[in-house]
Amino acid sequence: MSNAIETKNLHRRMGKTFEIRELSLSVPTGSIYGFLGPNGSGKTTTIRLMLGLLRHTGGSCMVLGRPIPGDAPRVLARTGYVPERPHLYTTFTIGEAMRYHAAFYATWDGRRAEELARRFGLDQTQRLSRLSKGETGKLMMLLALAQSPDLLVLDEPTDGLDPVVRREVLSALLDYVSQRDATVFISSHLVHELERICDWVGVMDYGRLVAEMPMQTFKNGIKRLRVTEAPSLVSDTPFVLLARETGDGLSGGEVWVVRGWQDPMKQYFEGVGARLREVVDLDLEEGFVELLRTFRAPGA
Amino acid sequence: MFRQILYTQWKWSGLGIVAAALASFVLPILTVQGAGTSDPTWIDARALLPALEYWSRAYPALALAIGLLGGTMAWTNDHRGRHVYALTLPLPRWHYVLLRYGAGLALLLVPVLLLWAGAMLAGRMATIPPGLHAYPHALALRFGLAVLLAYSIFFAVSSGTTRTAGYVIGVVAGLMVLQVLILLSGSETRLVAPIFDRLVTLPGPFEIFGGRWMLIDV
Repeated sequence: MSNAIETKNLHRRMGKTFEIRELSLSVPTGSIYGFLGPNGSGKTTTIRLMLGLLRHTGGSCMVLGRPIPGDAPRVLARTGYVPERPHLYTTFTIGEAMRYHAAFYATWDGRRAEELARRFGLDQTQRLSRLSKGETGKLMMLLALAQSPDLLVLDEPTDGLDPVVRREVLSALLDYVSQRDATVFISSHLVHELERICDWVGVMDYGRLVAEMPMQTFKNGIKRLRVTEAPSLVSDTPFVLLARETGDGLSGGEVWVVRGWQDPMKQYFEGVGARLREVVDLDLEEGFVELLRTFRAPGA
Repeated sequence: MFRQILYTQWKWSGLGIVAAALASFVLPILTVQGAGTSDPTWIDARALLPALEYWSRAYPALALAIGLLGGTMAWTNDHRGRHVYALTLPLPRWHYVLLRYGAGLALLLVPVLLLWAGAMLAGRMATIPPGLHAYPHALALRFGLAVLLAYSIFFAVSSGTTRTAGYVIGVVAGLMVLQVLILLSGSETRLVAPIFDRLVTLPGPFEIFGGRWMLIDV
């Protein structure tokens, strides 16, 4: 499988305290890749490095088969980008913004732009400075999609939008992806939103990639186990033990949070004299939180 | 692409350009009116030339103002968005800079051409004493070159970060303050004037702004 985005040991220092370190990530072509991480974890910086807006000081970055930042203009011609903060000229009307944007993209699809403007209920005579947050979000998605890109890079595209607008924007995105085999790289800290649409997930924290795997593996692999009679020291577990806590008063025992769980691993508990009472699926958000907790734990 | 860039620049600086164009057209006419050359009884070249020279100071000032307007307005909106939009457009950075520079230059042609038209009209309106001649083409060419120089400098300075612009302004302001302090201390040392002279007299880079800007001369 080829990768639409591939970084190897990417490095960039930002100020005195923050840096992107040894960042190696692979975004398979045609995937919807959710880029998760708490605020300030380095998601936006990573995106800027990937698009050549910032220059990396170490490692390498290939996007759509071309090196970044060397071939950035060619890559950007095939990439729709929705930045975290609106970047358009606020003196424009929506119509002017569309015409201006269209002039730079050979692949601009005017019909799709008009269609999306109607679908989003955008009045083309309206000035950008007077748009609501939701309307601005819709316009930015419209511009990105009407470019007919092979890659969409969306940096918190629905952050601050109400649920109705969020749904409209994501639905337009999914329609586009279903029509074209485009790759989507979407960063967010709204975990539930990504859970619904992504098939790959990468997790960032403190400028480092904590985990990267197919969404299904991520969701299925992280479990909460209720264990009784567990020995105080455990070793050679067939899964990764992320956390071990005393259970609540009613059921007693312990709660283990594990990664890489598979059903046959139940036998392990018999082997160590413990009893596995319950296996609970964690949703993406819980898994995400547990993953970060383990990553941030001393000695991690 | 260029048309859209030109359009944005027009949108951002159109009013200023129109005002500058009007001022450029009117200035040569005011020069001859103010110097009294429309009065047929006025034939004394020795009295006329100083009056014209008085007005000639306005030309480099106007050229500077137009250059400043064009140079800064070219980048204002990109600065506001921290250049993110410009940087994500699919063209090399030098290409984008050239487009912005070219669009600004195209707009600044309007006041230059109107000054030319105004100078030709003023030359015809004036009663020129024997021995003097009108030089509307030379004046317009000089004005155009001065606008080009001022625009290029302000365009380059304002294309940088706020910090860069701050350094430039800081150095100039620092020199001024130092000069004032020196004068206040009772010393006769002149710091700014020699630097200024070096810059505006040949082979200084701003020589075009100095000297005589005469519409009518010997």
